[in-house]
Parts: sequence; C-alpha cells; structure tokens
Amino acid sequence: MRLVIGGYAQGKLDYVLCKYQLQGFMVWDGTLPKDKELQTKTVVINHFHHWVKKRIQEGGRPEEEILIFLKSCKDCIIICDEIGNGIVPMEAFERQYRERVGRILIQLAGEAQEVWRILCGIGQKIK
Amino acid sequence: MMTLVIGGSGSGKSTYAEKISVELGGQSNKYYLATMKVYDKEIQQKVERHRRLRSGKGFLTIEQPIRIQKALEKMEAGSRIALLECISNLTANEMFAEGEGAAENEVAQTVVQGITLLKEQTTHLVVVTNNVFEDGTIYDEATMAYIRAMGSINQKLAALADRMVEVIAGIPIMIKQ
Repeated sequence: MRLVIGGYAQGKLDYVLCKYQLQGFMVWDGTLPKDKELQTKTVVINHFHHWVKKRIQEGGRPEEEILIFLKSCKDCIIICDEIGNGIVPMEAFERQYRERVGRILIQLAGEAQEVWRILCGIGQKIK
Repeated sequence: MMTLVIGGSGSGKSTYAEKISVELGGQSNKYYLATMKVYDKEIQQKVERHRRLRSGKGFLTIEQPIRIQKALEKMEAGSRIALLECISNLTANEMFAEGEGAAENEVAQTVVQGITLLKEQTTHLVVVTNNVFEDGTIYDEATMAYIRAMGSINQKLAALADRMVEVIAGIPIMIKQ
C-alpha cells in the first residue's frame, strides 16, 4: 500500500496518476470497493478522510475496518487530506473526526511501503 | 540543547517527543511539564491517554499551566531533561486565563521568555508545539490574535532551538538541525 497525504487542493490525485503511470486503475471516491469489485485493476482510494468521516457518523470502527480491507487489497494507493493543522474545532464531532483521521494515518503510514506528502503539486517522499 | 517538535492534531508529535526525551534522558531526571487545565471530561480523557503513554518511562510530572519558568523551582538541581507539552495550551492559558484576552505581543513575550529560561537551566529541553495555521478559516478577532501569537512564538522558538522536527502521520521530518 502507498499512502499519499497533503492539504486540500494540492494536486494529490494528479500526482498519483502521473507518477505511477497506472495502466489499469480505478479511482474510488470517499469509499472502499467491495471484495468483488477489486478485480485486477489498481485501486486508488481518493478522499479517504471522507470515508473515515462517514464511518464515524455511522458508528463504525474505521481504524479496524481499513486494516481488514488492506488484507484483501495490499497494492492500493490511499489518498487522504491532512486535516489536523488548524485550530481545535468547537464541535465535539469535528474534534473527534480530526483526531481519528490523524491516528488512522499514523497507523497507515506504519503499514505503507511508501508515504508521500504533496505540497503545491510537488511530492516529497517521507517514507 | 533544545528540540522543537511541531505537528497537527493526531500527528503523533507527543509520542515522538516522549521517545526522544527518553533517549536523551539517560540517567538524568526527566520532567514532564503539563500545561493542560482540566475542565471537562474530554480533556480529562486526553490527559489520561497521555499519562498512559508516558507511564513507565520515568517522567516526573509538573503541572504548570502558566508562567512556565516556575517549573524550574520544582526540579532538582543537576542533569535534567524537560519535556514541555504544549505551546498551544500554554499560550491559550496565558492569553485567556485571566478573563479577557491579554495582548498578543505580551503573551508571546511571556511564553518565549519562559522557554528561554527553561532552555538555559536544563540539560535538554524538548518543546512540543502545534500547527494551528492551515485550516484557512477566518475566526473571531480573539482567536486570530491567538493564532498570530502562536505564529510569532513558534518562529522565535524555532530560532532558539538547536533542532526542529515536524511530525506527519507519525513520521519525523527534520526541519532544522
């Protein structure tokens, strides 16, 4: 798995598509593919943080669910916004969401073979 | 010696700062300077999580929510490591603790002076600060003044520090060495 992070609108998806010159790929937006949808194409999960938010709202356990997913999809690329670099939000849900995305990214960065941070469309390999 | 560690919420900055403090610590006394004022259950849980992470690592905790240099009076003389967590709480406490907001320049000066004294009087000081600058929101004036004070403090601490490390998704990136 490769993890690509960065701020909003930094060109993360374009960076991934250019860099890896993926022949067959499928981009999933804010959702994870089901088992039967994995097929042979490289899975790119864009806006991963949207999926985390949705699962928290639905009372899920995104921390565990993503690890289970990765067992069946080891070569995917996960793209996620960095959302923790701001003022602590007033609403409890927003605080929890921010914190949990951060902790999940630490977990994913630990698992990933590569971690890239994208700033102004330029990638920096941080792992 | 001083190391400044910066990161966002949930970035892993505390875990990293604790790790390097333990590594630097050796036989020295290790102090954890806690700045958080507990006023609700959520903060209490946060404090407890941090305590769990620290337990067994040999830190003595000093609660010092304002005037951080006063922590020096509570330390034993000799070789000592201090881990201060974190500048965002300390700054908020200095700014808002005594009623309506103190002037941002004064707050910045108070915090930087306190850290300067800590640096001078410890063997190694590790300071954790927070990246509060990148959410693009325009807040009320008091919050904007707080963000400016944080920006000014971080710049001065980065100049003062021998090393600065940014932690992203648990990965340390050397910014100044």
